[in-house]
Amino acid sequence: MRALRVAAGVELVSLAVLLVNLVTVHAKPVTSLTGPVHGTAYLVVVALTALIPGVSTGVRWRSVVPGVGGLLVLRRIRRAG
Amino acid sequence: MTKLLLSVHVIAAILAVGPIAVAASLFPRFARESPTGTAVFLHRTCRTYTVVGVAVPVFGVATGASLGVLGDAWLLVSVVLTAVAAALLALAILPAQRRVLDGATGAAKRLAMTTGVFNLLWATVVVLMIVRPGSTTGA
Repeated sequence: MRALRVAAGVELVSLAVLLVNLVTVHAKPVTSLTGPVHGTAYLVVVALTALIPGVSTGVRWRSVVPGVGGLLVLRRIRRAG
Repeated sequence: MTKLLLSVHVIAAILAVGPIAVAASLFPRFARESPTGTAVFLHRTCRTYTVVGVAVPVFGVATGASLGVLGDAWLLVSVVLTAVAAALLALAILPAQRRVLDGATGAAKRLAMTTGVFNLLWATVVVLMIVRPGSTTGA
């Protein structure tokens, strides 16, 4: 669960970095490094959610939401207790 | 930037695929002896490093994009073989390991074969990455 929290954080922060970079300085090194970091975090969130035993299909679909998917999954799991 | 992306790609490949190859190869033998202890640990190792392993294709595509070789035949073949290997790992090897741990010890023999095919696939991809047939920048 800790891994999912970290991945969810990285997913959101890296997307924020990418978007802020896009509308401001648009530095190419930032894009080419943060892009794959965000992609990895996104896929890790989807994979970790798929590996949690006994979660509903709805939670699994939430994990594929871009940017906030990890946080949505965490909120659902926390609410389910 | 290409050098950094390529370094991350190669390091991730060594650190993620290496443990999966070793743990998955050892799993059938230990699971046949007893589906507890070491076998459980080997299954956990495979699962954990499968998740870590998603960094490999992501940084691989980023490296390929910055080198401008995404359309090259050797790279496309590698992508297809990687996809097959990943599907084999996520949809065949990991579920079969789970079934063996749950008591279906008969699945262990078939699992040894599937794991062998997986190792053969990624070894082929590594050779393609080194030889790069048809590439003008080849070593």
